[in-house]
Amino acid sequence: MATTTGVYHTSYRADLALRHTRLEYVRLALALAVVAALPFYVSPFWLHVLDQIGIAVIGAIGLNILVGYTGQISLGQGGFLAVGAYSAGVVATKSDLSPLVGVLVAVLVTAVVGAFFGLPALRLKGLYLAIATLASQQIIVWLIVHWDFLTGGVDALVLEPATVFGWTPTGDFDWYWVIVGFATLATITATNLFRTGVGRAFVAIRDHDIAAEVIGVNPARYKVLAFAVSSAFVGLAGALTAYWTQILTWERFTLDVSILYLAMIIVGGLGSVAGSIYGAAFMIAIPAYLDQLSLRVSADSILATDLPAIKLLIFGLTIVLFLVFEPRGLARIWQRAKDYLRLWPFRY
Amino acid sequence: MDTFIQLTVAGLSNGAILALAALGFVLIYKASGVINFAQGQFLLIGAYVVWALTVDAGLHWALAVAGAIGVAIVLGLLVERLILRPLVGEPTISVIMVTIGLAQVLGALVQIIWGTEPRAFPEFIPDDVVTVAGARMGENRLWALGLVVLALVVFAVFFRRSRYGIAMRAVADDQQAALTMGISVRRTFALAWALAGVSAVVGGILIANLIGVSGDVSNIGLLVFPVVIVGGLDSVPGAVVGGAIIGLLTAYTGGYVGGGLDAVIPYLALVAILLAKPYGLFGEVRIERV
Amino acid sequence: MKLRIGAVALVLALTLVAGAQSRSTAPAIKIGAIFDRSGATSDVGVPYSDGVLAYIAYINSRGGVKGRKIQLLSQDTGYNVARSEAFYQQLRTSGIVAISGWATADTEAFKARVAADRLPYVSASYAESVANPEETPYNFFIAPSYSQQMRIALRWISRQNPGQQVKVAVCYSDSPFGRSPLEDGKRYIESKRLPMSYDTQCAMRPGGTDFTAQLTRIRDSDYIIVQNTSAPASTLAKDAARLGMRARIVLLNWAADELFVTLAGAARTGAVGIQPFGTTALKVPGLKAPTQWLQSHGGGSIHRKGIHYVQGWYTTAVLIAAIRRVVAQNEDVNGPNIKTALETMPAIGTGGVTASIKFSKSYHAGQRGSRIFRVTRGRFRQIAPLTTP
Repeated sequence: MATTTGVYHTSYRADLALRHTRLEYVRLALALAVVAALPFYVSPFWLHVLDQIGIAVIGAIGLNILVGYTGQISLGQGGFLAVGAYSAGVVATKSDLSPLVGVLVAVLVTAVVGAFFGLPALRLKGLYLAIATLASQQIIVWLIVHWDFLTGGVDALVLEPATVFGWTPTGDFDWYWVIVGFATLATITATNLFRTGVGRAFVAIRDHDIAAEVIGVNPARYKVLAFAVSSAFVGLAGALTAYWTQILTWERFTLDVSILYLAMIIVGGLGSVAGSIYGAAFMIAIPAYLDQLSLRVSADSILATDLPAIKLLIFGLTIVLFLVFEPRGLARIWQRAKDYLRLWPFRY
Repeated sequence: MDTFIQLTVAGLSNGAILALAALGFVLIYKASGVINFAQGQFLLIGAYVVWALTVDAGLHWALAVAGAIGVAIVLGLLVERLILRPLVGEPTISVIMVTIGLAQVLGALVQIIWGTEPRAFPEFIPDDVVTVAGARMGENRLWALGLVVLALVVFAVFFRRSRYGIAMRAVADDQQAALTMGISVRRTFALAWALAGVSAVVGGILIANLIGVSGDVSNIGLLVFPVVIVGGLDSVPGAVVGGAIIGLLTAYTGGYVGGGLDAVIPYLALVAILLAKPYGLFGEVRIERV
Repeated sequence: MKLRIGAVALVLALTLVAGAQSRSTAPAIKIGAIFDRSGATSDVGVPYSDGVLAYIAYINSRGGVKGRKIQLLSQDTGYNVARSEAFYQQLRTSGIVAISGWATADTEAFKARVAADRLPYVSASYAESVANPEETPYNFFIAPSYSQQMRIALRWISRQNPGQQVKVAVCYSDSPFGRSPLEDGKRYIESKRLPMSYDTQCAMRPGGTDFTAQLTRIRDSDYIIVQNTSAPASTLAKDAARLGMRARIVLLNWAADELFVTLAGAARTGAVGIQPFGTTALKVPGLKAPTQWLQSHGGGSIHRKGIHYVQGWYTTAVLIAAIRRVVAQNEDVNGPNIKTALETMPAIGTGGVTASIKFSKSYHAGQRGSRIFRVTRGRFRQIAPLTTP
């Protein structure tokens, strides 16, 4: 297969293309083919897991925009997912509007809420911002639990199945296509975002916000915008969660969920859309696999009796080991593998 | 008036426990700039080890506490060496996430070793009711208050007079300069983590005394954040004052307002302080204008 | 010729043997179970789930249901609805015929799903809202509902103070489980025109370590009814004792157990318990089987294990009894048949541990009454026989 050496472009069009070599296009096509074929070959359990991964991909991309590309630490992912999910849930249960409207409302509301919580980011950095977002997470969950009229409080908010243009997706198979459709949209949007000026402004702020201001990037405006854009993605993920699971409880949006999403982007690779996808798949598939395994081993083994503790242990160890040994995540590992193959048999 | 005094006393004594839990946190941040999200789990391990040594191994409680302190010091040193040192220089998000991952690992290990059944904590701290200024409280809470005052005094002396304390302040201020003065930064970090482990054992014992030995002991780990933000991340007196403020706020809200608001008021206070005085009441201010 | 007859005979013999073997290795009956062994209610969830597992092992050791073993597919979902829901998705495609459920939150969330999937769901949640077959045709539970327990408690309180005005407060877990009986308690007081004031401000935060603040608001109550599990209930009792409150504590079933007695220390004396499953100290024949099984399988004394073990045991026994009925009637072992069996089978005795358990087509809670106990000299002792308001 052709390997890339001395790739150069002779037109702006070529420069802006999504991929630059034939091999890259082939890999992309293969990946799409796998995604399209998967639902026909996996068991119902894994189909359910794939749907979960699809939604997580959207959320992880959103979080990565904020944390990986703009350098703003956020522990409030669960809270923003909740805002998106409950917005869609309220639209679904208290009105007859189409689910597409629900999704749109969720995206917009979450973006506004995100921008609001982004305001402290203008004054706070790093650590303090992380703690402020932690507080926002706890406050949002508390509001959901106690705002009975809107959200049902501690009880579950139950949605009717969603119908769009006469079609009701029933079961994980139908939903797979819906979710993959939105995930693809999110991936393309995010990738393109970082080829525009706005995206580059985000990255500039991450790298050195004082220098960015010097070259004319308004940090206040772009930080708030980063929160808004990131939250829009997260709101979409939340809305899809609402319509897909049909059962909304506050437990889906706790601090543990925020930590899970942060783990996804760290393990996957900060500042990389592909990394978000790898991380989301990895952090959801591993516990699912452990669940399956626990049903197959004997009931006396430690995996069966202590399953939640084992899952927690492996989750924590994954984070710690990745950070100690490969802080740039799965995306970097994949990059190194590609480089190795590209340069083989040479070392560099 | 009677209710007010009762609530004040309850709030201060809860605040004292929060302050003890936060103390370890502040020590680690002060020395190495690391935010330890696993502080709640350190408390948990302290409580479980004391319980295990007292109830399972049948040791006298003083020996059990000493043993737990030993374990906590070893744990602190191991964490510093194996996990934090490889991450020197990495971005803040990585360091935060590694302590979060550590928190999960420690919590899971406790569950695997000791199970999840709640147990009664051995009663070596008396729980008799005492009356203070017309309000009733358990004697163990007086102990908590006493221990906090003791810790405050000890650390004030430590940081002002002892060589190691001054070394820690130097390292917190400027690591390079400290190195040039011949201070071993590594040893200072190790010392900070060890001391944090000790304070975690004490805090864990006090909490387990109140609610029993179970996974719930680590929940206080989250409340540490409002305390240290209000007080200042790198200030020991700040942790005490912050603990008192958060304890009082929670008590008054629970007593006078109700409706579950007391669960969220610490976080509202946190956000308010961050917007008004980000470095807390006693924290060191870093001036930066953007 | 002889060879041919011999061959046919051999084949026939082999087929008969093979047929006989396949009859004795009849397919296992699969049941799903959701446990909480690590979450907010694990203090009672651990012994309960041990009881469920024990009964399944017990029944399998005696040949299962007419030779068919029961296979339990269980998972600890830590009182988290999202995790329970993911497990439920796993279960529904695994060929199960019934589910042994746990949390109120799960039960409420799944009630439409199990009806659509036609899987009988026998829960440890006794929320009145899932006892009505019109709304939740596939939900069952074997104890009096939380609302019913609340009514029993209120009736007992009014009997203790005939004609007098009493101040009653309810302290409850801030969750669907905790809030379940609140409204019905209020309605009962109003409908019986009881001279009681009823305060429901005392919400106990799950994971809370100190309830002094909430208690100061109900400082002058005469009675505090507690709808929570035993660990937080014991913390509440200790806090109330420390405040010198005169209120008597009345615990509903999930708090009235041995763990409360252990954890509450001196504050336990005088606490009243509405416990439909009794105590492990009752001298009833129904305790023999679980006690012996626990002892012989290294679980120690049943007094240490607690009454929730017995609760899990008998909850599962009722489900298995329904399955046995379906098999005895030579019907397919599936969800709808088990549901019908539960509704139509005659009352099941539990050897005196509880009142006999009977469902009907119009009410899916198995009992309506409960004994009442009080802690004296370090143990719950009975003070009132089976009471039905």
